[in-house]
Amino acid sequence: MVPSESRHFDLTCCELDSVERLRAHLAGGRTLYEVREDGQGGRHWQALTADDPTPFVAQTEPPPFAAKAFFFAEREAVFRFDGERFVAIEPTAPAQVLFGLHACDLAAVAYQDQFFAADAHYQARRAAALLVGLDCRHSCSQGFCTLVDSGPEVRAGTADLILLPTEAGWLLLIASVAGAAAVADLALPAASRDWPAQRVAHRQQVASEQGDGQWLQDGIAAINAAKVSAATWESLGLRCLVCSGCTTVCPTCSCFAPLERKLPDGSIEQERVWDSCLYEGFQKEASGHNPSALAGQRVQRFWQHKFGEGFRQTFGRYGCVGCGRCDHVCPGGIGVHAVMRKVGKPCSN
Amino acid sequence: MRVVPSICTFCGVGCGIGLRVEGARVVGVEPQPGHPVSQGQLCSKGWSTSFAIDTAGRLTRPLIREAAGLRPASWDEALQRVAGAFREALAEGGPGAVGVISCARATNEDNYAAQKFARAVLGSNNVDHCARICHSPSVAGLTLTLGSGAMTGSIADIDSADLILLIGADASENHAMIGARILRAQARGARLVVVDPRRTRLARLAEQHIQLKLGSNIALLNGLLQIIFANGWENRAFLDARCENVEVLRQHVAGLTPELTSAQTGVPVAELERLAYTVSHAKAAFIAYGMGITQFQSGTNNVVAVSNLALVCGQVGRPGAGINPLRGQNNVQGACDMGCLPNVYPGYQPADSSEVQAKFAQAWGVPMPQAPGLTSLGMTTAALAGDFKALMIMGEEPVLTDPDQHHVEHALRALDFLVVVELTMTETAKLADVVLPAASFAEKDGTFTNCERRVQRIRRAVNPPGEAWTDWQILGALAARMGYLGMIWADAEAIFDEMAALTPLFSAMSYPALDAHHGLHWPCDAAHPQGSPRLHAQSFPRGRGRLLPVSQVDPDECPDADYPFFFTTQRLHFHYGGGSMTRKSPLLERETPAGLLFIHPQDAADLHLHDGQGVRLRSRRGSLETCAQITDDMPPGTLSMPYHFREAPCNILTNSAQDPQSKMPELKACAVAIEPLPPGVAPRSADELNKEAGYGSF
Repeated sequence: MVPSESRHFDLTCCELDSVERLRAHLAGGRTLYEVREDGQGGRHWQALTADDPTPFVAQTEPPPFAAKAFFFAEREAVFRFDGERFVAIEPTAPAQVLFGLHACDLAAVAYQDQFFAADAHYQARRAAALLVGLDCRHSCSQGFCTLVDSGPEVRAGTADLILLPTEAGWLLLIASVAGAAAVADLALPAASRDWPAQRVAHRQQVASEQGDGQWLQDGIAAINAAKVSAATWESLGLRCLVCSGCTTVCPTCSCFAPLERKLPDGSIEQERVWDSCLYEGFQKEASGHNPSALAGQRVQRFWQHKFGEGFRQTFGRYGCVGCGRCDHVCPGGIGVHAVMRKVGKPCSN
Repeated sequence: MRVVPSICTFCGVGCGIGLRVEGARVVGVEPQPGHPVSQGQLCSKGWSTSFAIDTAGRLTRPLIREAAGLRPASWDEALQRVAGAFREALAEGGPGAVGVISCARATNEDNYAAQKFARAVLGSNNVDHCARICHSPSVAGLTLTLGSGAMTGSIADIDSADLILLIGADASENHAMIGARILRAQARGARLVVVDPRRTRLARLAEQHIQLKLGSNIALLNGLLQIIFANGWENRAFLDARCENVEVLRQHVAGLTPELTSAQTGVPVAELERLAYTVSHAKAAFIAYGMGITQFQSGTNNVVAVSNLALVCGQVGRPGAGINPLRGQNNVQGACDMGCLPNVYPGYQPADSSEVQAKFAQAWGVPMPQAPGLTSLGMTTAALAGDFKALMIMGEEPVLTDPDQHHVEHALRALDFLVVVELTMTETAKLADVVLPAASFAEKDGTFTNCERRVQRIRRAVNPPGEAWTDWQILGALAARMGYLGMIWADAEAIFDEMAALTPLFSAMSYPALDAHHGLHWPCDAAHPQGSPRLHAQSFPRGRGRLLPVSQVDPDECPDADYPFFFTTQRLHFHYGGGSMTRKSPLLERETPAGLLFIHPQDAADLHLHDGQGVRLRSRRGSLETCAQITDDMPPGTLSMPYHFREAPCNILTNSAQDPQSKMPELKACAVAIEPLPPGVAPRSADELNKEAGYGSF
């Protein structure tokens, strides 16, 4: 729960002797999720019990899936038609805790909070969730949060609690009214250390690891000045296999499509399912006309949504939070790094 | 939310996926980040898995045909009916009159059970599956030249190749994660050459695209050999140490001058010379091919010609090098490995060997059949002749995917009895006397074997809907009804262990060993407990690699005055097989019209045809209507259709002329005539056309 006034909530800092004790406390009465390895090379958000004995491990790489699916479900029934009446399907919203979310993924949740502001299904689940963030001390392998203002330290107003790792142990930042209430019983002692300086040090460290970001600035400038040639976009489009991986893992992508399912009792259930704007059919109109008929146009449209100035003004930030997941999942090798380097190069235009 | 590690079912690449389970259903998938094959990526089909196995529209109860149509029945009644029908057919026609078409999408365990059912219960070698129509020529051809029909290397060899030569394979669409790996290899400096009559995505991205005339593969490959020999570019050390018959091949190709080859293939001489130089000078050439090699009446010889080129250049058995058939179905390798072929038991143990027969007779406790078995086309042909009575089809859709569709439909109607084991009511299931509901891959444990011979575990993530069972449970229960109790297993692992104990290629494999390694490549035995990612490093299974002279065979049917266009078939990135799974995704279904024809802009202009306009296509076997898509993917004079759509089933048109060795039908080339429908007139579906023609709906 991060109500809008928490954007102006004054952070307070406590000493945290044991992350596991905090985790066990929060798991009482709520379902708590943490990223765990599956032994097959995968890492997933997994529900833990309050007495889970496994020590907390701060993830140095973002998990393959951000928090998106917890609020914007990948498949969800929205109404039924029983032959006579349409019946709205109310979302279930159990109390839950997402424990150890990175700053980038929290920035993405805040972005989607705006997009889905009027969506009852999203908001019901969102209101029942407590978000526990985690400041990063080092950059992950593909990340560039410092270049898009999403990290490495959890942004104000995007989490209820923030785990702050230091050389001398853990600190906990109380970041919202709900966060304060959730840990009130733990009676954590106030921290005496200079935690703001600690966070600045982390930011400087990660920023130095992530570089000056000229590649990104050049790409953004070219996109917004409409300086990227159609041929450049087409050459990228030829490498887009239309797998939908990027939009699936992108923590800010929010497009969905309807799916009608016929149930065994004869009634019809309407689901909404995650969609992808890289599909040719995404924008195709009933007449057959398609404003994004070419693969290059669809790739362009996607990146326009991530870095276009108009979208930045609407949402108060870029649609890209710098997590680098698209780099990992793209079979055509045209994740954010490759695309922005290509479109930002003067010779390619 | 739980995530259950499994293997994607949408092609032979074998990508690692995690099934995202919410409550009692799979709501999505994610790539396994550390998976050695897919390396954390998936294609559109893989990402859409949850729709493919959605329980809406699934078969949940056995169905039995009555005069009025199919009606629900209990398992007891349905199995009784099936057992009775098989008994009757056996009494009337003997073991030659019954058979099983197994499934290249089902697990190894299901396939092992299917061939055991055919041999131990029906007493027949009549067991086959769809490898017949994708890679039977690979098995036949590579067995002749090397002694083993599978990929000689592994997918990871792409990473160490300096040349990737793709022949008749549209990898970025059909084997997308191999296509992705090829693109990564190219980005690090490897050279990509694509041989294909169509200008595919990878052809557009390649350093060289050899756009040969449809069906001129052998002419091209022989012509390359002539140039290589003429210039002394062959790998003499490799030929001396590892191969036989060099002189015969050299003399066979000596007269095939570049000019002659150019005339036969339509490829300029300079391009031929450039490719001959490239492939013979590559440090490691990853040579991969697909159905553009196999689906011809010369399929086996096409494979032999590929093998000749690889051997002459010494491109086998080293890191990065190899002859690599890219297999279509997720477990087509496994269905072959498990002996779902009329001529071999599990692990390619010959069915006509009395020693092998005695071994399985002892293990399974019943005598083994002596008579040779029929292929699937053999079974349908025998059915039309009245010699074949009762057939089980597991999860295959021959009505859509086999050539000359009317032949298949008539054959299935001519049977006394057809039982179909399926997930959904397919076009084939609609013809059945009994339909049995099966569990999908997300609902069972087992193993799949990908095209690089890697045997990988799949795991049950959710329960089957309604009363659906796994195939091996169905086969075991049916066997018991027919008096054979040797197919009652506790779980899939027990089947795997039984199979491994009887199959030398798999003897050191077990579920724990597979779990620990992201699967293992066969052969995996006492000598190779960690499996064999690369074959033939020192020698070939048959000893020396055999160079076999083969000659160009034109397609059985070439364009003429009545049917002036060449016609070929292809697949789309978005669909798989007959579309029974992928078309359940609203996103993939939205992506293309339900059936389409690709045509070159010049041909379209000559016909005054607009993009999206309806067309009518005719061949000597049938006709259909669909919409045209104008694209310079096609060369002028050649048309192509994907085979995924029941509304416009292109195999109404294709030719069933067969490769004499493998019985592969010539799905890749025939002749057609095309006429545009009046603008604004929508194409009619096959169903509508059939009704008008009085065929009845199927």
